[in-house]
Amino acid sequence: MGRTVTASMPMALGNQDADAGLVERYLAGDTSAFDELMIRYERQIYRVCYRFVENREDAMDLAQEVFIKAFEHLPGFRRESSLKTWLYRIAINHCINHVKKQSHEFVEVAEHMSSVRPLVHAQLEEKEQREHFRRMVQHLPPKQKAIIELRINEQLSYEEIARISGRSISTIKASVFFALEKLRKLVKDR
Amino acid sequence: MFGHLKPEDFVNLIEGGALPAKRKSHLDSCSRCGTKWTSMLAMHAEVTSLAADIPEPDWTEFRSAVRDRLLSRSMQRASAMRRWTGWSMQPGAAWALSVFVAVALTTGAFLWNRERTSSPAGVLEPLPLHPAVESNDADTVKAVWSQTALFDELVQLGDAEEEQLRQMIASAEKGTPYRQ
Repeated sequence: MGRTVTASMPMALGNQDADAGLVERYLAGDTSAFDELMIRYERQIYRVCYRFVENREDAMDLAQEVFIKAFEHLPGFRRESSLKTWLYRIAINHCINHVKKQSHEFVEVAEHMSSVRPLVHAQLEEKEQREHFRRMVQHLPPKQKAIIELRINEQLSYEEIARISGRSISTIKASVFFALEKLRKLVKDR
Repeated sequence: MFGHLKPEDFVNLIEGGALPAKRKSHLDSCSRCGTKWTSMLAMHAEVTSLAADIPEPDWTEFRSAVRDRLLSRSMQRASAMRRWTGWSMQPGAAWALSVFVAVALTTGAFLWNRERTSSPAGVLEPLPLHPAVESNDADTVKAVWSQTALFDELVQLGDAEEEQLRQMIASAEKGTPYRQ
């Protein structure tokens, strides 16, 4: 256990150094640094965005906006946190704002989907159940949803999530608990 | 005794952490905490299973879209700046210019206002009255009005005022008080 921690620490620091170098190069006008930065983080940011909107086009659009925002504000990046934490923070805030703006549309889609449900064949029931559970996850409050995604799917540590969200580790753990509790109730009420 | 397990305890358990012995024995004996723990574990597994199927975009296309949008936004900003200023300008320079103009205008207005209020020429002092105006003495008035300067003033008077002045002079010559 301790071995894993000590082994991962230099790697994290190495990543931070590499990020800092890439940022410097990008700000100095090196266009290849842009691609390298994108390659490092595009998948992670896209995945987070995807889980908020659950479709490829919107996720791509959101992820692109996150990177545009990040690159435009890169000269002002104070390096108080790692680039990864900073990018995740931008992504989570952007996705939460997007979901808040679109919340009424989510309700309409959910209602439409539930009306289609009786038409689904029995062999598709498992897939349907997964879809249904996915929709229930969409109904979590955006901040709880973000924490669940970062912890369970992105497998970020509680410390990293605490830095991204600006909350304490205890609060993050409590949020995970309440999100799972809410999902349990939603499943029960189904 | 102590109460049920806290949210943090459940999360630590999910993460594979161990509970202190007392809490562990509580979990084993409390049906409420036991049920909650089982359902939370199931929910955690369900959420984890959702991670698998995310369709991947074309990453080259994704990167070039970000690059194009960044470029088009910076061009939009530059052209917006040109529309305002008439020439190409960096945002920093535009800010500096606008701050300079604002400061210059404020300072100019302040100095102009101060000069106007403190300058002796600017102060509206009461004009010195002619001694005759202050005095009711008929002889003095007569002496004053007989001066040549009087004609200059008469030229500038209206008909009614001129008539009034004539009456004043006449009454002064007679030595009777002037009545309107």
